[in-house]
Amino acid sequence: MATCILKGENMKGTLSLLIITLLAGFIALTGCSKKPADKEDKGTKAKWTIGISQCNLGEPYRVQMNADIKSAADKHPEIKVVYKDAQNDTLKQRSQMEEFISAGVNLIIISPKEAAPLTPVVAQAYQKGIPVIVLDRRVLGDQYTCFIGADNKKIGESAGKWIVEKLGGKGKVVELKGLMTTPPAQERHSGFLQGIKDANGIEIIFEADMKWLEPDARKEMESALARFDKIDLVYAHNDPGAHGAFLAAQAAGREKNIIFVGIDALLQEGQAYVKQGIIQASFEYPTGGKKAIELGLDILNGKKVEKEVTLSSRVFTKDNIDSGGQLLKD
Amino acid sequence: MTKEESSAKLTKLSSEHWFTSPTARALGALTIVFCLGLLFNADAAFYKWGTHRDMLRAVSVYGILSCGMTLVIISGGIDLSVASILALTAVSFSLFTIHKGISTPIAILACLVIGALCGMFSGAVIARFRIQPFIATLAMMVFARGMAKWVSGGQKISTAVQQSDGTYKYVNVPQIFNFINSKVLGDNITVVTLIFVVCLIISWILLVKLRYGRYLYAIGGNEEAARLSGVPVGWTKILAYGMSGLFCAVAGMCQAAQELQGDPEAGMSYELSAIAMVVIGGTSLQGGRGGIWLTLIGVLTIGYLEKILSINAVGEDKRLMLTAAIIIAAVLLQKGKK
Repeated sequence: MATCILKGENMKGTLSLLIITLLAGFIALTGCSKKPADKEDKGTKAKWTIGISQCNLGEPYRVQMNADIKSAADKHPEIKVVYKDAQNDTLKQRSQMEEFISAGVNLIIISPKEAAPLTPVVAQAYQKGIPVIVLDRRVLGDQYTCFIGADNKKIGESAGKWIVEKLGGKGKVVELKGLMTTPPAQERHSGFLQGIKDANGIEIIFEADMKWLEPDARKEMESALARFDKIDLVYAHNDPGAHGAFLAAQAAGREKNIIFVGIDALLQEGQAYVKQGIIQASFEYPTGGKKAIELGLDILNGKKVEKEVTLSSRVFTKDNIDSGGQLLKD
Repeated sequence: MTKEESSAKLTKLSSEHWFTSPTARALGALTIVFCLGLLFNADAAFYKWGTHRDMLRAVSVYGILSCGMTLVIISGGIDLSVASILALTAVSFSLFTIHKGISTPIAILACLVIGALCGMFSGAVIARFRIQPFIATLAMMVFARGMAKWVSGGQKISTAVQQSDGTYKYVNVPQIFNFINSKVLGDNITVVTLIFVVCLIISWILLVKLRYGRYLYAIGGNEEAARLSGVPVGWTKILAYGMSGLFCAVAGMCQAAQELQGDPEAGMSYELSAIAMVVIGGTSLQGGRGGIWLTLIGVLTIGYLEKILSINAVGEDKRLMLTAAIIIAAVLLQKGKK
């Protein structure tokens, strides 16, 4: 019995040692493979260093944002860009900002996870004379150089107007909403109502909260299809939602009679769906990555920039997708 | 006592017996929910077969997870890792079939092996080191989710395949995706639902027809007694978690086929729904009591409830509160009078 327990204990020890060794090896491997990639961006003549702190690289939208920054920055050999990912952790993002400050970078671009907890560290950098561009989500106060963001309400309104025009002012619409406790979903909803308010013929016959999730959108759309024999259009707050609705309609054999509209227009999601003819329109929620590099260069070159920059959005349809979408009017 | 009296007493007794059986109680909750559907039929949408077919499609993935969960819970354990293993296999299946072009049977086999290995690993940790199932499967839940994100690079694995120059090439969905997603028997039932039925039958054979089932009930009832009577406790547990992992892989492939992509974030919090379905059916969380048909009733109860709330376009806030009410009501029904 005693030997048996001893054996168990020994084995536990061996196993935990094995796990720790494996872990260390794994970290060493991924660590090594990442570092040269970071240095790759550095041109030999780099005059300025820009630090990027991204709140979370776990979402396709933010991966796209970093890709946009990278493709814009690659055209300028005079800047070197250092990327950091805070992995959805506010405190981690704070210490990354502190690292940038002590490293003395020439400019910081931050897409903050939360406003209040990150405001002091942004202000600290700004007061030390490092220009800070705040991207997509806001911080409090005015201790930053420039804010770049898109306007969800305006995008919702444009979608509403586009839908009114597409349906000729008359039709039955299903609205699949994002998680309604989040501001983007609230704004995409209220903007949409604003956009269709003058068209009395547009009727929202069914609305449901699909929480940004494709399987949920599909379930809700199945219910809408079971209940209503005539549906003209589905307005979903994101492209996966529109895709889920399409799959439900396809299973019911009704996808040809329904127009699907989504938001976000990421390259591998919404734009791909439009190209494949799955959805009819996707409204871009721009990442601002390119704009951030442009304005960053302006700031570094001593030009004055606006404190608030609202990104213009584009609509992608089958007709214009190959020419890069159509800019929305204000 | 006259003859009439005694026969009346007998009927009363047997009817009492009928009402107190777990199956009858579980059916009680399902009947209540079903009646709600008849009452709030959303302009007769509830009377269409299509509504029921869609409900069965929507709960099938949960149902497949619940099959494995039932085995584990009867053995006195719990499996929190089901949703993460689902995501891992959904991503792997999409990667193998859409991006790598590996032939379908090999891809299916590989995913089943991945799922079963994940489950068996949890089972081995639980059986060998006597670590609580809650902790061991929690670790697997976190690990498998991380693994899903790692193999997919944090992106959804879809038919838009990124080329080395950053542009996207659009490929067709593999045949197997369309097959799983299709309807058969005169458009009356979806293939995923049939897969769920097969999983139910496999679980039933394991639990009722094989000696293995008696081992599971024995361990759930009293592990030490089972050990002393010669039940191979360790292997029985490893196999239970392995079967759960296997069912997760089946569910993961069904999920990928229905979304036409492998999403590393797929199935978030599905494990809680699966546990709720098993418990509402009347399988005891303490182990040793329950059955696979009870789980089927639990799955249908939750499925119908969600469907009825959905066709009536009830807001998310009220849905959550009503779902809680039904869970409590169903569990109280299970408990019955003391």
